[in-house]
Amino acid sequence: MLGIDWFWTVILMAVAASGAVRYLPILPERWRVPASVAVMLAFICWMPFTIGTFDTSLLTKAAAWTIVAIGLNILTGYNGQISLGHGAFVLIGAYTAAILTDSKEHLSFIDQAAWPFWAATIMGGLVAAAAGLAVGIPALRLSGPYLAVATLGLVLALPSVLTKYDGFTGGRLGIRRVPKPPVPGFLEDWAQAFGGDLSRDQWFFFLALFAAVAMTALAFYIVRSRWGRAFVAVRDSEVAAAAVGMNVARTKVTAFTISAFYAGIAGAIFLFTFQGSISPETIGIILSITFFTAIVIGGLGSIMGAIIGGFVVVFLPDLATDAATSIFGEQQGKQLWPTVYGIVLIGVIILMPHGVAGFLHRLARLRPAQVADAARGLPAALRSRLGQTLERLSWGGKDTGRP
Amino acid sequence: MEGLGQVSATLSLPATFLAAAPPWQDPELFFSLLMAGLATGSIYGLVALGIVLIYRSTDVLNFAQGEMALFVTFVGWSLVLALGAGGANYWLIFFILLVLAGAMGAFVERTVIRPVEKAPVLNAVIVTLGLFVIFRGLTAFIWAQGELPKGFPATPLGSHLEPVSAWFNHDLWGFARITQHQFVVIVITAAVMVALYLLFSHTKLGLAMRATAQNPLASRLMGINVGRMLMLGWALATMVGAVGGILVAPILSLDLVTMLRVILFAFAAAVLGGLDSPPGAIVGGVIIGVVQNLASTYSFGPVFFGPELSLPFALLVLGLMLLIRPTGIFGRRAVRRV
Repeated sequence: MLGIDWFWTVILMAVAASGAVRYLPILPERWRVPASVAVMLAFICWMPFTIGTFDTSLLTKAAAWTIVAIGLNILTGYNGQISLGHGAFVLIGAYTAAILTDSKEHLSFIDQAAWPFWAATIMGGLVAAAAGLAVGIPALRLSGPYLAVATLGLVLALPSVLTKYDGFTGGRLGIRRVPKPPVPGFLEDWAQAFGGDLSRDQWFFFLALFAAVAMTALAFYIVRSRWGRAFVAVRDSEVAAAAVGMNVARTKVTAFTISAFYAGIAGAIFLFTFQGSISPETIGIILSITFFTAIVIGGLGSIMGAIIGGFVVVFLPDLATDAATSIFGEQQGKQLWPTVYGIVLIGVIILMPHGVAGFLHRLARLRPAQVADAARGLPAALRSRLGQTLERLSWGGKDTGRP
Repeated sequence: MEGLGQVSATLSLPATFLAAAPPWQDPELFFSLLMAGLATGSIYGLVALGIVLIYRSTDVLNFAQGEMALFVTFVGWSLVLALGAGGANYWLIFFILLVLAGAMGAFVERTVIRPVEKAPVLNAVIVTLGLFVIFRGLTAFIWAQGELPKGFPATPLGSHLEPVSAWFNHDLWGFARITQHQFVVIVITAAVMVALYLLFSHTKLGLAMRATAQNPLASRLMGINVGRMLMLGWALATMVGAVGGILVAPILSLDLVTMLRVILFAFAAAVLGGLDSPPGAIVGGVIIGVVQNLASTYSFGPVFFGPELSLPFALLVLGLMLLIRPTGIFGRRAVRRV
């Protein structure tokens, strides 16, 4: 159905190779995980030299959104607070970085020189974290859907605020022509030593990749630390967590702050490596909600899920368009891709209730005997499943198995 | 120094600045704005009511509410083109659309909501977001390829152009300056509320639906067909939302973004009123409609709080009210089970 191009071939090769290293008995047990990560990274580092400029820039964007997804997953997956408004923190991070490095010296009263991009990125994360702290404290009073709608309000309100206070932000037009970081000399020398040269897009990709890998490593550290265990404990039962002497409020605010920090870093990375300019409309409500969709599709409470989620944000619309054009033809496919996209979303979430990561996790735990058993029982299971479905679809039929 | 200079310049401007004459100087403007806000708020309230009915029965936040209503309204537009919208035809189309909306809601519940019922809670949110995209895509595919409708007919009860004062020949303080259609909207919303009240508290079916919403297990043990009640709840909610869509189309003119504008405020209204309280949805809708209408005309305080900031201002009000009552004005407090 889908013509698989070189880009997806490389992705599939990478997944297959690292999966093989991880699950096949080639290496001793303790080497398997680091080796599979190394294989995956090696493939990813090779990709920009083989897949072309456009796909490389898409990968760059995916790396930035992966950072948002990881942060959001710390908040929603590990701590159980729903935020549909993380786009606001991304926007705050990007604006901070843009203002600090702006050539028009919007903030020249701090000092007379523009900040280097890495300092601006970190500052973007910190300012977003401060905003997250400010939002996280009132958010303590809200829960579930109320919090979801309130955070949605955040991303709705921010663009008009940014437009209004145009002294810093450049108003409706935003900040154009943010200087993108130049290719550092030593990397160029390296590339030449290997007989190639590093284009700007490849450098941006590696920059975003570096940020994504660093933030992923940090996330792994956080969720395995005292903080991470506290997040999960509070998510599972606030009462129990309080009963064993944990400070529930502080834990929840910490999760919000960390998650906003991630979003801010991602915003700055997105600005420097992909967009190059920022305006109030760059990150809208749809994208903000898509971050949330991405982590649920990827798998809540799993860093791996968030990484998959970052890819989903960028590539699922394209894949849906491809699928739609190949099913309905060029003209109608372009119109119908949102419908296909929606059907894919619903299908994935029905078939994989714990997200792609949860599905893969279960797949990896399957033993050959189980597969054989399942295959033997398949006809009967299918028959009963079909029967159930028919019963469910029969209107006003007998009520089946509900609580 | 440019940025800093601008901020201090803003601060040094006079502390109050009103774009329009204040209410005590021009009460007619104020009251007509109030009534217009009431009409807009009623529509927010109707869509919010749909959201609340679904949340109450299935614990799902239905993000597709607005787009489903939009789809139904576009079907209505096709029917209007085919049949014409004079007199009895309008009500025939209205009836057809209600049936269609009900069927759509029931179908959606049966096919895609039920499979995620036992899955983690957030999965249902993803399903409704998926439905949002699907209905939006379908609507765009079917209707938005050619020319979009310029106008959607108002009900035969009142014109969409003439003010209410044309009926009474009297304009008390500006109350009657709103269009007849806006007045009809308020009346229909009230009628829907009364009908739902009668359904829920004076019929056996309504009792069963309330019981299902409150405690599915116990209701099931009492012999209520829980699945059918949930399906009916979705059907009812979609119908109410569709009424909102049909009534808003003459005001905002029908296009792809019509319901986007409505649905966000409807969510705010539902949350403000309390997600499990149907009267709360209407009250929340009316509050938001009135505040939004007043805030877009009058701007309070210093200049940096001007009319461009009416949306953040409305959301700020919403946020503050939520901080005071975290489950909305009429919402039940969540009971924490240890």
